[in-house]
Amino acid sequence: MMGSSSKGRCISYDYSFKILLIGDSGVGKSSILLSYISNFVHDLSPTIGVDFKIKMVTVGGKRLKLTIWDTAGQERFGTLTSSYYRGAHGIILVYDVTRRETFTNLINIWAKEVELYLTNRECIKILVGNKVDRGSERAVTTEEGMEIAKEHKSLFLECSARTRENVDRCFKELSSKILEVPSLLENGSIVVKQKILDKTRAHKEVEVNDRGCCH
Amino acid sequence: IQSRFSGLSLSTLPQNQNRTSRSRLRLRRCLPQISSTRNRSPYAGTRVRSQAHIPILRPSIHARRENITVKFQDLYGFTVEGNVDDVNILNEVGEKVRQQGRVWWALEASKGANWYLEPSVSEGIALKFSLKLSTLANAITLKKLIRKGIPPVLRPKVWFSLSGAAKKKSTVRDSYYNDLTKAVEGKVTPATRQIDHDLPRTFPGHPWLDTPEGHAALRRVLVGYSFRDSDVGYCQGLNYVAALLLLVMKTEEDAFWMLVVLLENVLVSDCYTTNLSGCHVEQRVFKDLLTKKCPRFLEP
Repeated sequence: MMGSSSKGRCISYDYSFKILLIGDSGVGKSSILLSYISNFVHDLSPTIGVDFKIKMVTVGGKRLKLTIWDTAGQERFGTLTSSYYRGAHGIILVYDVTRRETFTNLINIWAKEVELYLTNRECIKILVGNKVDRGSERAVTTEEGMEIAKEHKSLFLECSARTRENVDRCFKELSSKILEVPSLLENGSIVVKQKILDKTRAHKEVEVNDRGCCH
Repeated sequence: IQSRFSGLSLSTLPQNQNRTSRSRLRLRRCLPQISSTRNRSPYAGTRVRSQAHIPILRPSIHARRENITVKFQDLYGFTVEGNVDDVNILNEVGEKVRQQGRVWWALEASKGANWYLEPSVSEGIALKFSLKLSTLANAITLKKLIRKGIPPVLRPKVWFSLSGAAKKKSTVRDSYYNDLTKAVEGKVTPATRQIDHDLPRTFPGHPWLDTPEGHAALRRVLVGYSFRDSDVGYCQGLNYVAALLLLVMKTEEDAFWMLVVLLENVLVSDCYTTNLSGCHVEQRVFKDLLTKKCPRFLEP
């Protein structure tokens, strides 16, 4: 498990959102993330377990800290990645427009996983068809994607991690939609988090005092 | 950049080109003889003393300011990129490896070529006792030596023997690996589909692994194992393990047996099985350990 944050860890922000990338192995989850974070596109190795990156953005005048979790696509890693659904504000469901089975698995497997493990009922989902730069090999039409997205009450986009087409837009649309949901804002708010932290700290101090430590 | 390098009185670039062309030559030499050298990785048994030497760069303030990056291939064919300081550190490490190698050669000279392969010595490591004092001494010496690193040329031999792979291989008929790869040829399973998907994504750009020949060797090892152990089949991550084994071990078959012994005897069990139960256990143990030793990491 590795993580890296973009420059400026101490930059203040209004909200912190947890976003999850899921989908079959090789659909381009890590590539989308890398393309979004660093504008850098090349062939990537399979993700083992979980990886995450942090990006600070401003959407609708609000400063957001996006913690984006990238998960391994192979089915057996599901037993490890399921715990990462907890507290997610947004979920990006990725399929490969050139491999039809990655699209059907999204409906038959991944959407069900989401239902099973999600803790935020109002969490925003976005269906993303990747690899549109390989238009000649397309196996899933835009209309099919839109229809399934509608069925699952998700946003929808088609993108290419390679050409970066629609990659920024994917995260932007997801973030601005999350900003529209009050209940999600509440648990993504820095103020609320601070309060929880203060509470636990106060609690700890009481404990310490109770113990009557003497040095 | 070239003029900068000559200004630094370095022979980095020409030597690098040399090395690259040499390894290319080796690769080319392998191609026409695929059938006879099928089981041989071109990186196997690399003669380290001539290969691992990275030209020493004298760091100057000028060079650091310019932040020149140096690019070269390490002894297993991986591209290493770094600045002058990084290369100097690598040189220091390389020198330590060479020194350590000299200790091994000296011991070979006094104790005999394969002294560490004596079963009493290698098993002595595990048993921590021996009836014969000299054997016990050898076992302790060997353990210390291994902790400081095994010289790359000896790795294939030492790994194969001490891991238990040699023993494992000796319990089955000689043709086991060949029969296995032949028997599973052309079969399609979820494991083979995932393997085929991952072959070009395993160390992309590596001069041997990322060639049709490298893909084929890695495929045979992984597919072979997937049929040997259906509880594991193929788990992402094994591709990296098997690929590195192919680079280190002398033959593809030895790499296969190393993978077998790692998964079946050496590593925590069930780390790669379909539900990754071993990983869950490991994580739980790690969490308990953290709770005990560094509780502040677990604060919210």
